[in-house]
Amino acid sequence: MIIDQVIAASLTLTTPILLAAMGGLVNRQGGIVNIALDAKMLAGAFVAVIVSSMTGGWFFAVVAAAVAGAVIGYLFSLVITRANANMIVAGLGLNVLVAGLIGFVLNWVYDSSGTLRLPDVQLLPKFLPDSVSSIPLFGLALSELEPLTVFAWLTVFALPFLLANTRIGLWVRATGNAPQVARAMGISGRNVQDFSTAFAGFFSGLGGAHLALASIGLFNEGLTAGRGFIALAAFYFGRDRPIATALVCLLFGFLDATQIRMQTAGLPPKLIGTIPYLMVLVALCIAGWRNHRRKAVAP
Amino acid sequence: MAEEASIRRPLFEGWLDRGVGLAFPFLVALVVAAFVLLLIGENPIDVFALMFAESFGTQRRIAATLSAATPLLFTGVATAICFRSGVFNVGVEGAFVVGGLCAAFIGFTLPAALGPTLIPLAFGFAAIVSAIWLYVPGFLLARYEVDEVVSTLMLNFVAFGITGYLVNGPLLSEISGNNVTPLVHEAAQLPRLLPPSTLHAGFLVGILVVVLYGIWARRTPSGFEAALVGQSKRFSSAVGISIPATIILVMVLSGVISGLGGGSHALGQLHRFADGFSPGYGFTGMAVALLGRNNAVGIFLGAVLFGALASAGTTVQLFSDIPLDIVNIIEGTVMIFAVVELGRISLSRWRARR
Repeated sequence: MIIDQVIAASLTLTTPILLAAMGGLVNRQGGIVNIALDAKMLAGAFVAVIVSSMTGGWFFAVVAAAVAGAVIGYLFSLVITRANANMIVAGLGLNVLVAGLIGFVLNWVYDSSGTLRLPDVQLLPKFLPDSVSSIPLFGLALSELEPLTVFAWLTVFALPFLLANTRIGLWVRATGNAPQVARAMGISGRNVQDFSTAFAGFFSGLGGAHLALASIGLFNEGLTAGRGFIALAAFYFGRDRPIATALVCLLFGFLDATQIRMQTAGLPPKLIGTIPYLMVLVALCIAGWRNHRRKAVAP
Repeated sequence: MAEEASIRRPLFEGWLDRGVGLAFPFLVALVVAAFVLLLIGENPIDVFALMFAESFGTQRRIAATLSAATPLLFTGVATAICFRSGVFNVGVEGAFVVGGLCAAFIGFTLPAALGPTLIPLAFGFAAIVSAIWLYVPGFLLARYEVDEVVSTLMLNFVAFGITGYLVNGPLLSEISGNNVTPLVHEAAQLPRLLPPSTLHAGFLVGILVVVLYGIWARRTPSGFEAALVGQSKRFSSAVGISIPATIILVMVLSGVISGLGGGSHALGQLHRFADGFSPGYGFTGMAVALLGRNNAVGIFLGAVLFGALASAGTTVQLFSDIPLDIVNIIEGTVMIFAVVELGRISLSRWRARR
């Protein structure tokens, strides 16, 4: 019974991180370390709640959230690629700016500080029949399955193919990994990077929509709780490979789901919350140490 | 960054460039903010005038501005010291928080009988622990080429987690309720400079840090070498400067200064450590360092500007019904445009055309 719940909760909590990580991964393959995923998730969640309430349709809400994320990502990219802004500082700045803008709108338009509760917010539909919940272990997870989780996992398995076998996938990888080659081939690196940042925004927006519409149906300023950075940690740990990154996301989702349970077992949640970041540090050290040894052997 | 080592240009041009560097991001931010204000039907000029009056109008308001600028003096220098050597340290925030906790810890655990010696002890402990905190990514970068942006960013979250755990667990104050440590002893509190305001002696320490940084950067061989490493790694190693040693030096110095900043904030401002100790001072410090082009005077001006914004924002919300978030909008825009080269490019183009 408890295992059922942990599996279901892990899967649900993985989805937003996974979506953002897939976007950030493509972005990093294109040569941009996107530190503002969190801002786009927040914007996505905010837009999703408003549009869902206005139209009463989850689909429009999800699309609007993704578009909002993509537009913010594109504008952000322009500042980096056209005006040579530093991507790290600009990314941190965007996090501050988006939080400020959303807070401002919340305060001014909706006259509330921090939380937005709107009527008629339609949540993501659970499309499998209730009868699946009788399946052992995975039943509960299956019965709670919604379109965005399915989409996220489809993306995970489609991305390796898209990156390896399509023109745009190759362009993105060439721009990030071999800029000279890309330039020699006549690819506009800036345009490709703008595309990849908009792509990251699109997926982060979806992640935000999932956060807002999966179960709670309201917006809160602290809704993302740094999940954009967890996503960053995930694709760094997964070394930009979609499937490896997805497994890392699953682990982080599991940690998130079990935090509350571990608290009752005496493990403080704040310390458990640092595990993803420590894992990245360890992964970076191992990778650095390996490179170092390889260089020492064959200089 | 380029000023120090590049060919000496006429003094005036350097200052003009720097002035534009500092002003341009702020102008963009003011335009963005003005646009937002127009949308809600406020007159931006009135609001900006009110904000200016609220940050520099009276002696009390100036004191509040300088008080808000104090942590930024430390985080600005701590960031600049790394940036000018090409080390992209974004971990000042974490080191600041760790330093604050360490200073507060000394301030309330050691016996009050130690009197004013508590202050140097607390500052020393904070500086040492924060130095070790940033030594780790410094060492990893110097020895194994571990990307410092990610390692320091991740360490920030580790710092938030650990300190958050400590103030909610072992170091939780028994009297005050949630998320705070006990108050430090009275002897460990930094004196207030202009009593009604919260401006405290930490501001003087911050000024001292900025001045020492300026002297180190411009007048010492070590500071010059560190800047050279930022200019060209190949040239630096060709003339015999050890790049790993420089990286570790600037990271440790950055840690020391972050620790002192956290200590000053804990002992002077809050008199304890609390969850949410820093509302992003380390990140604002990055904007300060970039705006000030890593120059001591520039850092001071940048810190005061951001301090003014923070202190004006709170009162503007009281006097008008403009949400406080306008401050975040301005700050975020400044950060995004802080390093944009538009201003400098157009200026040099304009000069070339003449």
